[in-house]
This record gives sequence, structure tokens and C-alpha cells, in this order.
Amino acid sequence: MPRSTRPYIVGAVTVAGASMLATTATVAQSSNEETTLTIATVDNREMVRMQELASVYEEANPGVTVEFETLGESTLRQRVITDIATDGGGYDIVTIGTYEVPIWGEREWLLPLDDMPADYNADDLLPAISEALSYEGTQYASPFYGESTFTMYRTDLFDEAGLEMPEQPTWEFIMEAAEQLDSEEVNGVCLRGAPGWGENVALITAMANSYGARWFDDAYTPQLDSAEWRNALGDYTSMLQAFGPDNAAELGYNGNLELFQEGSCAIWVDATVAGSALTDEDESRVANEVGFALAPGTGLEVNSNWLWAWSLAVPESTDAPEAAKDFVAWATSQEYTELVAAEDGWANVPPGTRTSLYETQEYTDAAPFAELALQSIESADPNNPTVEPVPYTGIQYVAIPSFPSIGTAVGNRFALAVEGEITVEEALENAQWVTDTVIQQSLTADE
Amino acid sequence: MSTTGFDPNAKLEDLDDEQLPVAPHRRTGFGHFFGLYAAEHVAATEFVIGATFVGLGAGIWDILIGLIIGNTLAVLSFRFITAPIATSTRLSLFAYLERIGGDLLSKLYNGANVLIFISISAAMITVSATAVRVVFNIPPQVEAYPTSPYFVFIALAVGAIVVLVAAFGFEALSEFAGICAPWLMVMFTVGGMVLIPALTESVTGYTTLTGFNDFIAIAGESVFTGTNAAGEPGIGLWEVIGFAWAANTFAHFGLIDMALLRFAKTPNAAYATSAGMMFGHYIAWISAGLMGAATAAVMQISILEAEPGDVAFYALGASGFVIVIVAGWTTANSNLYRAGLAAQALLPNSPRWRVTIQVGLVAIIAACFPFIYKSILPLLTYAGLILVALGGIAYAEHKLFAKYGMSEYWMSYKGLKNNMPAVITWGVCLVFGFGLNFLNIIPFYYLFVPTWFLAVGLYMFLAKQAGAGEDFTDQKAAEVAYNQRVVEFQAEQARLGGFSEVKDTTTLTKIIKAIWIVVGLVVPAVLAWRVMFDSPDLYTYFVNRELFYDLTIWCTVIYFVFAYWDLQRHKSINKVASAKARASLEKEEELTESK
Repeated sequence: MPRSTRPYIVGAVTVAGASMLATTATVAQSSNEETTLTIATVDNREMVRMQELASVYEEANPGVTVEFETLGESTLRQRVITDIATDGGGYDIVTIGTYEVPIWGEREWLLPLDDMPADYNADDLLPAISEALSYEGTQYASPFYGESTFTMYRTDLFDEAGLEMPEQPTWEFIMEAAEQLDSEEVNGVCLRGAPGWGENVALITAMANSYGARWFDDAYTPQLDSAEWRNALGDYTSMLQAFGPDNAAELGYNGNLELFQEGSCAIWVDATVAGSALTDEDESRVANEVGFALAPGTGLEVNSNWLWAWSLAVPESTDAPEAAKDFVAWATSQEYTELVAAEDGWANVPPGTRTSLYETQEYTDAAPFAELALQSIESADPNNPTVEPVPYTGIQYVAIPSFPSIGTAVGNRFALAVEGEITVEEALENAQWVTDTVIQQSLTADE
Repeated sequence: MSTTGFDPNAKLEDLDDEQLPVAPHRRTGFGHFFGLYAAEHVAATEFVIGATFVGLGAGIWDILIGLIIGNTLAVLSFRFITAPIATSTRLSLFAYLERIGGDLLSKLYNGANVLIFISISAAMITVSATAVRVVFNIPPQVEAYPTSPYFVFIALAVGAIVVLVAAFGFEALSEFAGICAPWLMVMFTVGGMVLIPALTESVTGYTTLTGFNDFIAIAGESVFTGTNAAGEPGIGLWEVIGFAWAANTFAHFGLIDMALLRFAKTPNAAYATSAGMMFGHYIAWISAGLMGAATAAVMQISILEAEPGDVAFYALGASGFVIVIVAGWTTANSNLYRAGLAAQALLPNSPRWRVTIQVGLVAIIAACFPFIYKSILPLLTYAGLILVALGGIAYAEHKLFAKYGMSEYWMSYKGLKNNMPAVITWGVCLVFGFGLNFLNIIPFYYLFVPTWFLAVGLYMFLAKQAGAGEDFTDQKAAEVAYNQRVVEFQAEQARLGGFSEVKDTTTLTKIIKAIWIVVGLVVPAVLAWRVMFDSPDLYTYFVNRELFYDLTIWCTVIYFVFAYWDLQRHKSINKVASAKARASLEKEEELTESK
């Protein structure tokens, strides 16, 4: 080695060696046999109750800890999508609705739930709900509670007016009855009017289905300029303008529930889950004067009853699939239903998921609307939601990613029509334009 | 005295322009650098980096404050590390390293540059390809590797065009890139504005923001949430500062931007880098994060899956395709050119176009793999870590040697072919930096700081041992004489070729300028303002947004037509003026001779 190069090579080796030695560290990994299940859930009454009862599951399953991340619906959807789509593994169980399941199932973001424990009793699930939570025949989520739509009405007012509610009313009958029952004290009819894809658009879409309307044809060309839509929206706006609450375009599910509970609605067509709140004497001033009937139709083969279920699913990215499935099986089981009944009474059990619940005398006694709710759920078919064939699934929504945007924008115009700011024709023309605009953009971006 | 790569007696006319210091008459001021840095740092990469911060789980306040601090540190690094050396040597780092480092170091440096610039070019080709993918309805590429043969075909086709233009039409595209800067700045800003109502609606159900607090709440809840993609606490203030500071390490601490700042009249011109840092790396990154989150919400995908093509399309409509293709293409063009130059230095017998095509082929193949563009932020950070030691070596040689009794250019004074202390310092620093990274002792975006200090200290120590402190009185005298010859040579060049730029004050030029400014920039900004602040519900939002989409694409066309016309007029007028000035000079000389 030439003399001149030795010193700096020696120095370099010394510095490199020292730096490597100084930075050498061992990382101890502790093995952890405990399992922690992280559940992303929505902040509604039923899910909060599940959190309170999760300790029962933990006691029965030593070594398993259940942690909840409770979020608003929109934030929940966004967080869960990011976690699942990036294989983050942050959540072992997620709470999703029937809208998401087919979309996420198609994207293979969820584990199939076709190998649940034997005591899960999959055959007990209501077929319509089970199907709504499936994609191409495989179930990807387990229902926590389900609902459809039916007609709720004031029996006392009907008696006074000499009216009789048919078991299967038509919208025409609802309009005639509303006209008769409408007074200064009581609104003839209450319907969701607040704009939003889960508010007025959900009801109007289900209603339009029964008029023979559809959102898209097979080529995803919007169909909101059809006569069927004109008839459906025309009747909806006429009813609300003539016989509905003054602020009908501001009232969603909760607003109408309050109005009915305080005795200000003669007829209300909405979710079956409202039944227990209307018949609860602690909450409702008209608890003993409420009758129920199926959701209205127009005589076609499709009525206005929708289908929705909040459900629990296991993301592909979980690192504890078996433990997650076990918890899902427990939280959506008959055992859990009985646990809620024991703790809070049969009226508070999560409804609309299992046949056995409707065969339980205690429940049907506590929920006089149970049979109609079951009938409504069973007759709803998200795979064939309309009279004419459609390329999408979903009754009160279209199960495509862009529907929340489309639905809410359309809902804005429908609400204006109810307020009389624009005509029905204008509202539908606007709806057709915005639907076409957004769907074209979505199709371009590979929806 | 034998020298390598530098001969104080060389004929200056025979030397490449790059080997000479920048002449005084070619030096420019703050305004020039302001535009230059705005253009350089508002690129297609910003779409990806904005989304990366979201994926890393930065919180909203960490982003707002951390990016300001990190980018301020970057500006100060340009001002106090890069600019003083650049304005003192008036050489690019490449030329400076040739003088202080010798053959081996230059070859290693060029080899590293080839790899780095190929990677950046590949990333930019992929970014452009994502926009073309959307047009041809090809599935998004969510994996690290291509999942569609059609996407591979598109990446190859886009890459082929980019490489051929870089090889044969670099100057033309480079000229075109120069006029893109104002448009890119406006488009990045308005893109975020257009999508904020959609993002707000997806979170709150309302399209309107009532004030800055609302913005903070929405962005904090839905974009910069503080939770990373794995659902764990994300990066914090220190990390955001580190990323922002380190994103351009190779340019400031690594001294690559000596190539630009050597033209500055004074080191203070480096404050103009704030145009790139505070716009491109602040507003554009935040805007890109917002755009990505809104697109992800609409498409119901993760922001990390939202490709630049999708994001730009949702934000800007058809203009979105243009911005992604233009921003990707122009950035790829300049980086392929740099890769080609570096490769040419390694293969001096090949013409530039040939080596550009050779390195371009590698870039095209790499462009088929989406993980490269998705990793652009760490890629830039690691590129900085590779090159930062050279910055430390140059800093030590130029700024510290004299203070510690050593001589700048000692290697050439000693007649050595290679600067082994520099080569070894670089090697040790690579082991040190990447070793620390492997052991995960400190966050990788801060590794450049200890590595730079190690390079400075180690190089001074090793150079001293190798003889940098010897007496070089004769060689320094030759250097002074050489520098004097350069000054006289450049003064003569200035006299023969120099003339002041003509300011075009014709009415037609004013009209052309007014059209591209008003129609091309102001109108889209006003339309975007309307989308953001005058959309009380989602329907009105879509109406306003469609109007924005429909008009902005025409504004874009008008902008490029008139801005290019303006540029060509400016060049043409100055060409004529230059010819006149030369003719007048020649006439004057003839007159003097005849007298």
C-alpha cells in the first residue's frame, strides 16, 4: 500500500466501524398470545349497546380483548376504506351497510363468511337480508339489525274518518286518505323530505320503483326523464305540498318520527325500525293508536318496501380472522338477541335478521308490528328492485360508488320541488342532467 | 505540474462552456430564480407527495406548521449552503467535482446521477401514463407491479414518446416547460378549491365551509387525520418538518442546484427558492392531499390507491389530463436530459441522443412498475442521502479548507488522478447513512444531517492526511493567472455578444399577454372560486363544477397558444435586436480599422 493512502484508509475504516458498532442494536420481540379485536362501528343506539355487552363475550373468551372505534357514518366509511384498501389491518371487524357489501365484496376487501361456527345457524338468517349481504352468492357480512319500509298510521283518526287501511295500500289510497285526514292539528301524511341519498331520495326511489321507474337502464343511461318518474315525483310532491308538514323539505327520519310521536302525523311511510319507537309508551303520545300496513304500491309487482341492514364484516387485512369471525358470529347470534332481551327487554333486541326472532312469542308480543316488518323484509329483493331490468342492485339506493353524490344532488332538487321553488319537470330535468354528468365521470374513472 | 481534468494553461476558446465559471454578463437576479423555482417545483410529483402525507397519517396542524418550518429550512439551506458555493465558484457541482474529485469520483457521481434521474424519469412517465390509462378505460394499477398488459403498453408508448422527445427535441420541450409554470401553479390551487365542497359534503353532508375553522375541522377529520393507513398514529410535526426539508436534500445540501444558482448575482437570490418551496411544496402538496382525499371519497377507494390521473380528472375535468401529462412529461424530460448528460460523461464517445435513448429504455421499463412513482417521497429522500456526502465534501473543500490551513483544488495541485479521501468519505457516508437507516436509529429523512457532518469532518481529516495542507504557492499563482485570463476572455465575449434584452412594448404583445393572463389564469381561478364559495348544495356544486370543467379546458388551450406565441415573439424580437447589435458592432470595428 502506498504510504500516502494508509492514514486515511485506516481513519475511514475506524470511523465506519465505530459508527456501525455504535448503531448496532437488538430489537427484542415479545410474543403476545393475547388477541385484541379492533372494531370500527357506527354511533347508533344498537351499536352502543353492543359495546356495553362486549364484556360478556370477553369473559367467555379469556385472552380476547375487544376494542371499539366509534365513528360517524361518513368518517367510518372513509377510515374503513383506507384501512381495507391498503391492507392496513387496523380493523379486525367493520360495521357496514347493505350498500357497501356488494361493492366491497366485488373488490375482494372482505372475508367470505361461509365458514362460520356451527352454532351461528346461518339457515336462520332471513334470506332477503342474507342475499343483500352477499356478492355473487357468497355472504360477506353478518346482519346486526335489518329493516324494511311499511306504512304507519293513526288508527283513531282512521276510525273517526271511517277509513280502513288495506293490508296492501296503494299510493292512490294514501293520497285520498291523507286528503281526508289532513287538518290544522294533524298533517295528512308525513314522508322524508330532507335532501340526501339516505333521506328523501331513499323514500322517493323506493316509491318510484313501485311506479315502474328506475334510475338507469342496462347501459347506465339515466332514466329520470321517464313518465314513471314524473308520476312518482308528482304524487310525492303533491302529497307533501297539500297534506304534509309545513317544513316537509327539512324533515328526515328523525324529524318525522318526532312529529308522529307527538301526534302530528296521520300516515307515515318509513323504516320498520320506527315501529318500536312509535309503540313505546314512554316515547310516544300515540303509542296505543298506531296501526301498521305494508308499504304502498301501485298495483305493479314491486312495492315501496326497501331493505337495509347494518352488519359486521371481517376485512381481508385482519391478522386475526378466526377470532374476528367468532366475535361476529356471537354479536349476530340468537344468543346475543337473548342477552339483549334479558338486559333491556324484547322491544330493544336488534330486529330484522333472523327467522327465529319472529317465532319468539315474547318478541311478537312486545312488537305488534313484527309480522308486517318480517313480511316487508322478506318481500324486498335488492337484486330485482324494479319492474324493468336494471344493471344495479339496491332498492332505495343504487349500489355504485358514485351514488351518494348523485343521490344527494338529486335530493336537493326534489326538496326544492317540494318547497315549490321549481316544478316537478324542472326537478327531474335537473336530476337527469346531474345523474348523467356524474355517472359519465364515474364510468370514465373506472367505477 | 501535472493536472487531471484541469489545465491552467488551456486555451479558453477550446473549453466547454460548462467548465468555465459563469460570466458576469450572464448572471441574473431574484425574479429569474423566482420563476425558475416555481416551475421546477410544481410538478407531477406533487400529486403523489400530497397523497403520501395523507397515507403517512400527518395531522392537519402538523402539515400546516411542519411544512412551513421544513420548507423554510430548505430555503435557508439553499441560501446558506448552496448559494455561497455556487456564487463563489460559479461552477456546477459536476464541473466543481471534476476539479476537486478527479476521474473516479466523477464517474461514481455520474453513475449515481444516472440511477437517480432514471428513477425520477420513470416515476414521471408512470404518472403521465395514469392519465392516459383513464382515457382508455384501463383498470387502475393498485399493485407495485403492473396488473394489466394494456397499462404496460401505455407506459411503454408514453415512455417511448417522452424518451424520443428528450433525445431529439429536448430544447423545444424545455422551452415549452418554461411557459407551464404559471398555469401549473393556478391549476394546482384551483384543483383543491374545486374539490373542497365535495370533500366537505362527504364528511358533513354540507357543501359549504363557513370559515377557516371549518376547513381545519374537515381537513383534520377527513384528510390529514393524524392516523396512518394502518390505523395507527401517523407521523407528527418533526417528521413533516424532516420530509419537507429532506425532499430536496440532493439539491441544497447535495449541491446539485449549484447548476442553477451559479447564475445568481448574489447568494440572496437563493431566497427565490421560496417560490418552489412555499408554493410547490406547501400549497400544492396540501392541495394535492385535499384533491386525493376528495377523489378517494367519491370513488370509494383509499387515497393511496387514487392515481394522479383520477385525482386530476376529478379536480379539473379534461384539463386534469393535460396537467398530469404536461407536468409528468416536462419533469421526465428534464430528468432524462440530466440522466443522459451523466451517462454521456461515463460514455464520452457516444452522442447525447444515443445515451439518452439508452437510459430512456431503462426508464421506460421501470415506468411499468407503479411502486416507483408511489415511492417518490422516500425515493427523493434516499437520493439526497446518496448525494449529500458530495455536498459535504465540496463544502469542506471550498469553505473550510482555507480556514484550517489546507488548499482548495489540492488534488490537482498535487497532480493526483483521483481524490481518494473524497471517494472513501463518500463510501463511508453511504455505509453510515444507510446503516443508520437499516438499524432504524433515527428517522430516514433526518439521516442526511449527520451524514453531511460526517462527510465534512471525515473528508477534512483524510484530505489533511493525504497532503491537502502542503504548500502549493506556485500552483496557486498559476490558478490566479488562469482566473485573470478567464475574466478577460469573458469580458471580450460580453463585448462581442452581449446586448441588453429588448423590452417589447408593442400593443400586440400587450394584448397577447393580457389574453393568456386573463383567459388562461384569471378565468379558471374565478370559476374555481365560484365552485368553492358559491355552491350551497351538491346540485349547485355540480352545475358550477361542470361550468368550470367546460370552460377551463378552453382556457387551457388559449393559455398555451398565447403564452407560446408570446414566448416566440419575445425570442424573435430579441433575435433581431441581437443581429442588429452585432451588425452595428462589426460596422463600428470596420470604421475603427479603416481609420
